Formats: sequence, C-alpha cells, structure tokens
Amino acid sequence: MDLFFRKGVIASTGLFLCLFLIVHLSANCILLLPEDISRELYNSYSTTLRENLLIKLVAYILYLSIILHVVYALLVTIRNRKSTPIKYAVNHSNENSSWTSQNMGFIGFFILLFIVIHLANFWARIKLGMGEEVGTDALGNLDVYEVTSSLFHNIYYVSFYSLLMIPLGLHLHHGLKSAFKTLGFYHKKGLQAIAKIAVVYALIMSIGFGIIPFIVYFK
Amino acid sequence: MKVRFKIWRQDSPIDKGSFKVYEVDGLNPDMSFLEALDHLNEKLVLRNEKVIAFDHDCREGICGQCGVFINGRAHGPHENTTTCQLHMRSFEEGKVIVVEPWRAKAFPVIKDLIVDRSAFDRIIEHGGYISAKTGTASEANAIPVGKDIAERVMDVAACIGCGACVATCKNSSAALFTSAKINHLNSLPQGKPEEHQRVLDMTAQMAKEDFGHCTFTGACEVECPEGISINNIAEMNARFLKAKLFR
Repeated sequence: MDLFFRKGVIASTGLFLCLFLIVHLSANCILLLPEDISRELYNSYSTTLRENLLIKLVAYILYLSIILHVVYALLVTIRNRKSTPIKYAVNHSNENSSWTSQNMGFIGFFILLFIVIHLANFWARIKLGMGEEVGTDALGNLDVYEVTSSLFHNIYYVSFYSLLMIPLGLHLHHGLKSAFKTLGFYHKKGLQAIAKIAVVYALIMSIGFGIIPFIVYFK
Repeated sequence: MKVRFKIWRQDSPIDKGSFKVYEVDGLNPDMSFLEALDHLNEKLVLRNEKVIAFDHDCREGICGQCGVFINGRAHGPHENTTTCQLHMRSFEEGKVIVVEPWRAKAFPVIKDLIVDRSAFDRIIEHGGYISAKTGTASEANAIPVGKDIAERVMDVAACIGCGACVATCKNSSAALFTSAKINHLNSLPQGKPEEHQRVLDMTAQMAKEDFGHCTFTGACEVECPEGISINNIAEMNARFLKAKLFR
C-alpha cells in the first residue's frame, strides 16, 4: 500500500469530521436558548435527525470515518515508529516545528478517549437504549435535552468535557492545515489562507464546545 | 576558544556505539564547524587515537556531503544552512556541543558520524532523470521555458540531497527530497513525457525504503540548507493523484 493512500484516508476522513463538527456545534447552540424553547427545539431537532434516512446514511459514514481515521493513524504511526528506531540524545524539535505537529497521535488519543465517553453518555443511551431509560417531552419527542442538561449540571463531567476541548482545538488546527496538503492542494496563497482559517476554525470549535457546557451549568 | 565536544563514536554498522567527550582548546571562533572537527582529529592523531569519521567534500555549502545533528538540530542551530557553513562563533565558550549522526532506519550509520544515504540514490534511479536526448548545454535555449517556471524549478533543483529533511523529520520521511526531484523534472518540458511514470516509480521506491510518512510538521523546510518549501510535498501529492487517475 502506498504512502499516499494511508495519509489520504486520514486527511479525507478528517475533513469530513471537521464538517460534522460545524453541524454538531450549531446544534449545541440551541442549548443557549431559554430552557423551555431550548428543550422543545433540541428534542424535535434530534428526533428529526434520528428519523431521517439521509441522516442515517450520513451517520454510518460518520462512524466509518472515525474508525478509518483511527485505524489508518495507527498504521501510519506504526510505520513511522519503525522508520525511526533510534532517537537522538538531544533533539530540539520545538525550534523547527510546533509541539502539536510533533504529537498528533498523543493528542488524538485524548480525543478518542473523549469520543468513547461522550458516545457512552449520549449515543449509547439514546440510540441503543442502554442504561437509564430516556423520557419524553410534552410533544412526545425523546427528551434528549434532559440527558444533556443533567450531564451538563455535573461539574466533573462539565470540567472533563471542556478540558478535553483543548486537545481537540490543537488537533483540528494542525489537521485542517495539513489535510489539504496531503490531498494535493498546493496553491501558495490558498495554503496561507487555509492556515489562517484553521486557526479560526480550531478556536471556534474548542471554545464553542468548551464553553456551552459551562453556560448550561450556570443557567 | 574552548569547547567540549560530545561526539557519537561507532566503529562499524554492527557496533553498538556510544558518546565520547573531548575537551578541545585553541579553536578560532571564525573556524567552520568542520575545521573544528579537523582540529580535534589532528590532536587525536598526535595522541595515537582513532580519528572521528565524518562526511565532507566541497565545504562551500553546495555538495550536500556534510551533515550531522548538532545540539539537537540538523546542521546545527541555524536555519537553512549546511554543517560546513556553520561557524564556531555560533557556540558559547566552554559549552558542551553534542554531535550525532543522522538518525533514520533508512540511513544506517557506517562509522561515527557517517551514514549510508544510498536510499536517496535508489529513489533517483527510479526516475530522477530524463531519458530523452536534449543535446549539449548550448542547445538548452532551443527549448523555451517561461521565467516563472524556470525560477520555481531552480528553487527545487537546488536540493543537494544532504538528508537533513529525513534527519530532522520525526518520521524520517523523505517526502521533501523526493518531491523536490519530482517537481524539478516534471515542471520542465524535457521531463514531461515521463512525468506520470516518474512520480509513481519514485514514490514507490520511497515507500520501499525505510522512510516514514510525511505528517507536515514543517521541520524539514526549516533545516533544509536550500530552504525548499514544504508545499512541494503537497505538489508531489497532486502529481501522484494525477498520475494515478490519468496515466
């Protein structure tokens, strides 16, 4: 298998996940509305998503993307480790590259840990019906808002959730910037623009996802 | 000027190797780093000790032969330079200078600071040339090449194959070297007829050698003596995709 294919899978699945995060954060913004409006809107939105066939298909692509992103990142890491069996006694890599770019796998591990816990708390309860049963709201929709709100009123969960948005931001910054290069985009000014967009995107995602639980906590 | 060199000593590829510390006095701050090593070697000869083996040739920063890891950086503390163009004035009096060979599975140590970079030669053997006869140097002007293309090509043709990109890369990726060679030839009319086969063959050979994946840390373009841009790797990826689709 060529070197390009593995990195190409990581880059394209990564870009798809970047798009998904925009949709996810937009939905999270519903939580900022006053409680009664927020509950109704959030629950009807999630019901619409669950019942839409197209969204179901996109959801499967999403699961596959996460799995492929992780599996191929592992394959790349294994090859990279084999290529560098002896480390330097002194290596000032911080003088020629960013810490993030040198530690994407390490940072990615924390994001994976977060995804597993996040899925166990939401996805497993709502979609698989595991754990405590989820009630319904006044309109008869599954009360996903209640699940979210109760978790976001647990300070340990809120802190854990928000803290792990730091590695997310770092990972997104380097990932977004590099994915285009991996996929063969080499327009000089275009790449400079993407580098700037990556900073803004990573900041919006990490601050956005990180601050909403706190706002809900103090609401 | 006095410094302490902590230098990797290894007798042969199968030897385990270890660091050895040498106190060196009588250095001139304007000496090049390689001259300082020469100075140390002269002392070792007088002491009847084995001299330190290191690669060098032109000592003008253009041949790509020299190259060692100095104090945690490929070619030393400065950006975009070769080891021979590094001077002792870049170091502080009395400090320890750690000198290591390039570390990469694809570049095994032959002796002390000398590594085997023939993996680069094998990549070149797989398309880093043109097979068309283009005449003598004076006939070069018969094939018009636009100024912007000529400039861009010259930027990548400047690659001296020193291996600093591989040495500094956390994955030992040879992507910058290979992309420089591919983009150089594929951008010129003389290289066009074989462009697709070239990019496929050279990248396939790069994968066969023990180089890792490029993860765009950007360290290579900082340490490259010729300042070859990392965007060349993106361009190589585009050429690779094009070759796969349209060959």
